[in-house]
Amino acid sequence: MARIAGINIPTQKRLPIALTYIHGIGPTKAEEICEQCGIPLERRVHELTDDEVIRVRETIDQNYQVEGDLRREVAMNIKRYMDLGSYRGVRHRKGLPVNGQRTHTNARTRKGKARPIAGKKKA
Amino acid sequence: MARSVWKGPFVDSYLLKKAEVARASGRNDVIKTWSRRSTILPQFVGLTFGVYNGHKFIPVLVTENMVGQKFGEFSPTRSYFGHQADRKARRG
Repeated sequence: MARIAGINIPTQKRLPIALTYIHGIGPTKAEEICEQCGIPLERRVHELTDDEVIRVRETIDQNYQVEGDLRREVAMNIKRYMDLGSYRGVRHRKGLPVNGQRTHTNARTRKGKARPIAGKKKA
Repeated sequence: MARSVWKGPFVDSYLLKKAEVARASGRNDVIKTWSRRSTILPQFVGLTFGVYNGHKFIPVLVTENMVGQKFGEFSPTRSYFGHQADRKARRG
């Protein structure tokens, strides 16, 4: 129904909440956008007039980087580090934490599911 | 937290002087440095630095993309070749 910023179709919910379904828009930016468009925060997406939907769409297009563009930029930044051969790039390449976290234990988000070590004796 | 902009980038002053000298003379020899904490400045582009990693000087040819990073980022201090078990598992 309400198509904003490409593929996102949140309805039923209040506008600031619905906007957070867009990649690159969190609660803060969502409220900012509502304010810029002069739409009350309690307004639900299905209650918006066509005119208001267009206004929201235009503000996002003009002032915010969202979805594909944002993902591309992040990927480009990571790629830059990897091509540079810097420590950060190496960590990205190896799929290990980049910001100096411990890897003795934990770090499962980056390392993925624990793999059993072949030949290790069980206690 | 990122460094305040008003302070400007941090560079050890002796390194700046060394770089200028190298720039003025023929631009070929490696500038050895222990200053891994120094920021890479635009005027370092094209020079080669030997960045100490606690063991030896790793040659780093500064390119335009590296500006704003620190020298230490390009000279890893640890050497890790994986675990014995991992390598055995992969072969077998």
